[in-house]
Amino acid sequence: MKRSLYLGSITLLILLIVSGCGSSNNGNANTGKNNGSADQNTPTSTNTPPAETAAEQPITIKHNKGETVLDKPAKRVVVLEWIFAESVIALGVQPAGNADNAEYAKWVTAEAALGADVQDVGLRWEPNLETIAALKPDLIISNTDNNAAIYDQLKAIAPTIEFDPYPNEGDAYTGMEDIFNNIALALGKTAEAEKVWKDLDQYYEDAKAKLAAAGKADLNYVASQAFTSQNSITLRMFTDTSTVSQTLARIGLKNDWRSDKFEKYGFTDSTIEALPAVADSNFIYIVQADDNVFGEPVKDNKVWNGLNFVKEKRTYPIDGSTWTFGGPLSSKTIVERVVAALTK
Amino acid sequence: MMKNPSHSLGRVIGVFGGGIAALVVLLFLSLCFGEAKISFQAVIDALFHRQDIPGHNIVWDLRMPRTVLGLLAGAGLAVAGVLLQTITKNPLASTDTLGINSGAYFMVVLGTAFFPTVLSTSPLLFAALGGAIAAMIAYILGGGRTASPIRLALAGMIVSLVIESFTRAIHIFKATETQNLFLWGAGSLVQVNWTGVNYALPWVIGILILAILLGKSFDVLDLDEATARSLGQKVDLTRFIGLALAVLVAAVVVSVVGPIGFVGLVAPHLIRLVGLRKHRWLIPGAALWGAVLITTADVLSRMVRSSLGEMPIGAVMAIIGAPWLVWLVLRKMKGITGSALKMSMNVGGRPAKVNFNRLVVISFIMVVGLILVSMTMGGTTIPLKQLFASLFGSNESSYSVLLNLRLPRTFVAAGAGIALAVSGVLIQAAVRNPLADASIIGVTSGAGFGAMLILIAWPQVPVSMMPIAAMIGGIAAAACVFIFAWRKNLNPSVLILLGIAVSAFGSAGIQALIVRGSLWGSSGYIWLTGSTYGRTWDQFKIIAIFLVVLLPIAWYLGRRFDLLAFGDESSTGMGLAVRKTRLAAMIVGVLLAAGAVSVVGTVGFLGLIVPHAVRVLIGHHSRQSIILSSLFGALLLVLTDAIGRTVLAPIEIPSGMLITLIGAPYFLFLLVRTFRRKAS
Repeated sequence: MKRSLYLGSITLLILLIVSGCGSSNNGNANTGKNNGSADQNTPTSTNTPPAETAAEQPITIKHNKGETVLDKPAKRVVVLEWIFAESVIALGVQPAGNADNAEYAKWVTAEAALGADVQDVGLRWEPNLETIAALKPDLIISNTDNNAAIYDQLKAIAPTIEFDPYPNEGDAYTGMEDIFNNIALALGKTAEAEKVWKDLDQYYEDAKAKLAAAGKADLNYVASQAFTSQNSITLRMFTDTSTVSQTLARIGLKNDWRSDKFEKYGFTDSTIEALPAVADSNFIYIVQADDNVFGEPVKDNKVWNGLNFVKEKRTYPIDGSTWTFGGPLSSKTIVERVVAALTK
Repeated sequence: MMKNPSHSLGRVIGVFGGGIAALVVLLFLSLCFGEAKISFQAVIDALFHRQDIPGHNIVWDLRMPRTVLGLLAGAGLAVAGVLLQTITKNPLASTDTLGINSGAYFMVVLGTAFFPTVLSTSPLLFAALGGAIAAMIAYILGGGRTASPIRLALAGMIVSLVIESFTRAIHIFKATETQNLFLWGAGSLVQVNWTGVNYALPWVIGILILAILLGKSFDVLDLDEATARSLGQKVDLTRFIGLALAVLVAAVVVSVVGPIGFVGLVAPHLIRLVGLRKHRWLIPGAALWGAVLITTADVLSRMVRSSLGEMPIGAVMAIIGAPWLVWLVLRKMKGITGSALKMSMNVGGRPAKVNFNRLVVISFIMVVGLILVSMTMGGTTIPLKQLFASLFGSNESSYSVLLNLRLPRTFVAAGAGIALAVSGVLIQAAVRNPLADASIIGVTSGAGFGAMLILIAWPQVPVSMMPIAAMIGGIAAAACVFIFAWRKNLNPSVLILLGIAVSAFGSAGIQALIVRGSLWGSSGYIWLTGSTYGRTWDQFKIIAIFLVVLLPIAWYLGRRFDLLAFGDESSTGMGLAVRKTRLAAMIVGVLLAAGAVSVVGTVGFLGLIVPHAVRVLIGHHSRQSIILSSLFGALLLVLTDAIGRTVLAPIEIPSGMLITLIGAPYFLFLLVRTFRRKAS
């Protein structure tokens, strides 16, 4: 008995000592890391002319966790949400690391395709910190929804700016503009950002013109992303807080769907029962190719068939890969596909 | 059981008349509530003078299939419940307590993620296979026909937990493919056409009729084995047919409406309470009232829609059913109080009696060694060569960065492993059951519910509050169980059953929140599976405080726990304040588990398998078991942490899932042992 007590306390003691060592290692680790990033920076600075480096001012980025000051524009960026990846690529920079490359390629517009050498850092909700550290980034862009808990660890690896792509007030599009501009600032690409916005505005104008030419200007609509699960249907009806609805508003379309409460993710979960109330509108929908919600499942459904927009053939399918939580390039894709569907 | 025939007739009329009357009212109500607002008058018009207008079409083409499907689902699950209760001679058997629902659900999720085309052609096959396998495992793990009701319920719960953990894994890794299953996964009757009804109708009605026709044979199963055989009954055949029917009908229902619990438990009990025990009446009665129950739940779920969004029917059913189970345990199951129930701590066979001191030294060296080795393991993107290079100082930076990330999570893993394992030792001692751990008395689901509230319902609250919410949730759930069980002298069986009821309540809440919750639900699923991902020294401090305070207390109480193993009477005889000791053991166990859960999420099974394995090695000895279990616990969680961040890197596998992967074969091993013991 005594012996086991003895052993037990020794066990605990050793554990505590070991953990103590761990903590002191922790201290060393920080200094080591700083040295490391300094080493790492040397080759980069030889690439850029010294005069330009001297002219660069420290950049202050305001984000969810306060302010982060960068000594110079970021070059090696790790992005933990697709909207950030898309924004970075839109600015002409390939990220050093991105979360879940395979799924990104499936969902996000090919205009923002990832380069072949972009390192996959794991799933968006559990990015691999070691992989990120190994990339030696000079900027990490993280997502409040998924990465808030690891912010401090990310910050220990590299300066980290955190944004919430799903707004708690206002709308996702304004949030997206803000995020995009901040990323441009951090990357020292404000000129490129202005060009992206100008191009997008021009694209919206062209789209408006096309719609007007087809007699579809200022159309009213409701938009939905829908999927079936075991014979039941869930409709995500986009509200005015969504990027989709705000994007379409910019080409003059008017959303008829109203939600009585603020929807952070920009949609109301709904069922077919909700549609008769908006039957006079035009129905824009996103479904997956292998899950055509509004085909076979509702073929004999009188509620569906009785809807005015069904009777009058005013339903407009949009490709299932359309990313509805994206940045400027995704908005462009939404407009492109909606205009193509409406003017077909 | 031999009642006056006129009496029975009155009861039959009461059960069926009352049931049908209630059903008619509920059916009408269920046509009246929904997303679109349709007045009572309009519904009546629609029923009797249907016109081609949206309101009438909604009633007929959307709400009617849903209502009819509800009837079928309720009837089917209730029939399955009756059959399972008769076959297993266990009042607690039902499709959910035997794991059939989770088995069927798992297979459908698996199919959706990996073989969508095969699944769409034969969802029933998938669901039936999953349900049947789960039921078999639960049944055997529970000890087969000789199983006590509680043991069977426990086994079923464990099987469900294992399967749910795998289901979550699929949700995490295939988030975009399976996100449309959230709603269905919580049980949903929403229908868009009659396909679901057409598919379920022949099966449910057919099985219902078959079961009623076989009623007499099932009656015989209520008698004891010898009598039944002497009556010339093929008992085994009857049992097999009953089981097959039950699994089949449950699989049909789950494959259409998702897993819905409690119907199969509550409906048969209602009818039995009234006094109808002959299967010829019991089966249709239960089917009728099962339909009533589900329709009630469905109407309720739609009535609250306006304010909260539609509640998944599975959650509503749990809110109705869990209090029922509590009531049943406290009032009706007189037999389980006292120590009439022989629940031995025997793990089967004699302990291996390995030299304890040597074992401690070896496992301690293993823990330290593993921690060192795990320092070298990690993402493939940091090659071993570079790591060794940095070890020898040529490039110090990456080594430090690594240590900075790996050390804290490894220590958190070790600390949480110790806490969970010791918690398991204490709780198993307290409830005198080798199949118990903190999750059995509600800590896991309570903590999960608390954490999900913060994660989903109040996203404004900083994430740093999540551990505290989890801790509070876990302790609150356990406290509920204790308070209810106090009057029953904290009887182990009562504790377990109440734990199951409270857990069901918590799980329903979790499922409801996940449906309402964030876009992908993956953060929630990861937390619920238990993960050492991204843990820092802050979490280590929390778990260290818990261990420093609680382990000495556990050690001090150790001697008393050994006496608990003898059963209430003998322990009291030895001058032990049974209730106090049990309470102390439970409180320390719950606190340790709550501490662990608050830092690593709900890692299951560790507290179950580690003390169990230790008992196999050294037999009963609480103090030795505490020491060895903590070492094994630390070993296991450090190991899974290292593997989880290495094998699929850069993708992380949650440690909790790996623990389940290790735990599942251990249970199979237990099965084999049980069989062998029987054979000998």
